[in-house]
Amino acid sequence: MWIYAGVERTIFMGLKFTFPGRFVSPLGFLGMLTFVLFIILGITGALLMLFYEPILDRAWNSVQTINDVIPYGFHLRNIHYHASNAMVMLALLHMYYQYFSGRYKIRNEILWVTGIILGVLTILEAFTGYDIIFSERAELAISIAASLTNSIPIMGPQMREAFFGSGFHDFVLRFYAFHVFFLPIALLGLMVVHFPRFLVFDVPMVMAISGAVMLVGGVFPVDLGLRFDPNTPPGITVPEWYLTGLYSFLRSAYDKFTTGVAWPGLFIFSLLIIPFVDRYKKFSWKDRPIVTAVGITGLAQIIVTTYWGFYIDPDRTKSLLERLVIDPIFLYLIMILLVPLSFGFTYMMIKLAKNAEANAKLQPKKPSSGAKSINLPQNWIFVVFIALIAFQVYLNIAAYYAVLAGMKNYSLFIVGIMMLVFAGMWHLFRHGRSMEKAPPPKPVVPPSPLKAKPTPAVTSPTPPLALESGGSVKPVALGSPKEEKPIANPAPARGASATGTLDSSGLTKKSEHLTLQTTENQEAKSK
Amino acid sequence: MAQQPSDNRSRVSRRDFLKLMAAAGTVMTFAPFVDWGKFLPNPSGQLRERQKVELPDGSQANVKTFPVNHSEAVIYPKTKDLVLNKESFRVWQFIRLPEELGGNKNDVSAFRMYSQVCLHLWCLWKYWPQEGRKRGECPCHGSMYDPLTGQAFAGPASLQAPPNNVLPRLDLEIDTQGNMWVKPPNWSVNGNGIVGFGRFLT
Repeated sequence: MWIYAGVERTIFMGLKFTFPGRFVSPLGFLGMLTFVLFIILGITGALLMLFYEPILDRAWNSVQTINDVIPYGFHLRNIHYHASNAMVMLALLHMYYQYFSGRYKIRNEILWVTGIILGVLTILEAFTGYDIIFSERAELAISIAASLTNSIPIMGPQMREAFFGSGFHDFVLRFYAFHVFFLPIALLGLMVVHFPRFLVFDVPMVMAISGAVMLVGGVFPVDLGLRFDPNTPPGITVPEWYLTGLYSFLRSAYDKFTTGVAWPGLFIFSLLIIPFVDRYKKFSWKDRPIVTAVGITGLAQIIVTTYWGFYIDPDRTKSLLERLVIDPIFLYLIMILLVPLSFGFTYMMIKLAKNAEANAKLQPKKPSSGAKSINLPQNWIFVVFIALIAFQVYLNIAAYYAVLAGMKNYSLFIVGIMMLVFAGMWHLFRHGRSMEKAPPPKPVVPPSPLKAKPTPAVTSPTPPLALESGGSVKPVALGSPKEEKPIANPAPARGASATGTLDSSGLTKKSEHLTLQTTENQEAKSK
Repeated sequence: MAQQPSDNRSRVSRRDFLKLMAAAGTVMTFAPFVDWGKFLPNPSGQLRERQKVELPDGSQANVKTFPVNHSEAVIYPKTKDLVLNKESFRVWQFIRLPEELGGNKNDVSAFRMYSQVCLHLWCLWKYWPQEGRKRGECPCHGSMYDPLTGQAFAGPASLQAPPNNVLPRLDLEIDTQGNMWVKPPNWSVNGNGIVGFGRFLT
């Protein structure tokens, strides 16, 4: 108990952690999931540091050793690689969700701006990561990065010398320093500012994401690439997916600074200033047509160029240059064409959405019961639970034998499945707890449309959650102990919805309450 | 009118003056750290003295013995560290030009020393002395370099805008015994060029 008292003096009291007692849409806590991946990357990366050697002639070989020789090196490297991709992807999704739902408003500007910087640093972090393998692709990436830095007017050459040093030996060593220290420390520092006060930690979702990373790592294990040799022609290599958009612009062979520095710079800059430009009073994408259209345009351009960057003319009779270079006129024409297309698309979507809204208002409300929730009888929960545990035992054995047989990627795949099963078990667990708490889900009163609304307020002491992402789910009773005081703490929800940082703030206080009370109970019992 | 200057003087209040002093003090305190930025670039290439042109067999290149229309890979600046000596950015192509380009003269004009790092994507090009070639060729994407000037005339490197299309070049000198030396370089695009990035043709 004294630990709890001690925590009161720490920074953690400023944060409100929520452990949702039921399924909540992950859209609202994509940021937390990104952070979880950051932690996974930190742990796997720290372990990889034990064997990686950032020296010119040893970098690639040490990665090969990690991959092929060191027990579980393959696993850690694959998790590290795939988690990096997942982190970039989740960060992007997180940003776009916040963008389209207008969350950067209401005094969240600081969160937004730090978020954009975090996103840029995340991509740099991922970029420096795949460069220090020093494979053929890494060498190409480094040379492009260096020449882009060099192309910056006035300060460019000095910046290149300062950041990159001179020669491959420096590049590998410095990128390593950036990758394991400078960038992560900057990320952590910015995270302190970026963290909102209300955080959701959804264990099943976190485990599912980790499981998905491992599963993908098992199915698509990342290759080493060929060791860079300055005397042999490299194969055609394309950067990682988050940079192919930029790469397609570079491939137009137009001026390096414009294509490689100015365009992405402009994109980042416009994201940075969007909260200060967006003057709409409402939040929803439907009520902010221009901002939505601009966002859709950017997104469409990113998707098209990302694909374009990957595409290389398969005709081998043509020269490499012909296959690689993208006609700038064609490229920019498409980019410009995407603008009216995206605006039209946005207009159409808003029209459709508004129509649907209007229609829904006209029609009598369909009670959203029935198909929504699966209600297992108590006994069946135990049965399913035991089945899952048995499955876990089987998977454990399978994973072990897979490692013994040298089937590394298969074992990684199985461990991924185990994570997913764990996520399912946890979900079942909390579901069972909530069932225990509020046993029969209310004898299904054929809900008259009039009654449908007020019911939730009665069933649970939580104020109706001001959810956007959580959707229309009724606040199901959370897995809190029985002797909970009904009106004890409905208040804090206001604060949350005022700052708007979190969807399910209503859950916050309750779960805190829960942890405190359970420990109290334990204490009482032990006495 | 006469009061105007005294008016101006009184406009800076004591408080403003104090702030100004604080700002000046802060600037003065942290000014020296600006120069500390020199820590970042790697100074290992900045040599003040001439260095031997050391051929792969360990001997110093000599005008009298080095064959016409021939090239060797020379490491500059050479270190005692075997790993650093493998660094592409330290590999230079030491060329004695073919006869028709004046390679049979016994002075520095017959020699060239270019960075072997291709300006396109940093593979190592080399000089091919065969009849009909007599040029630098990169194995990776086929950039070709003129041995006389170091300018790329074909392939992707030739499409790059100056200074990214001319190879960095070291200046040579010959002592009385005919031994060859590399003069201290000036690593800038207007001087000897920047390895991997090129130089302006002057």
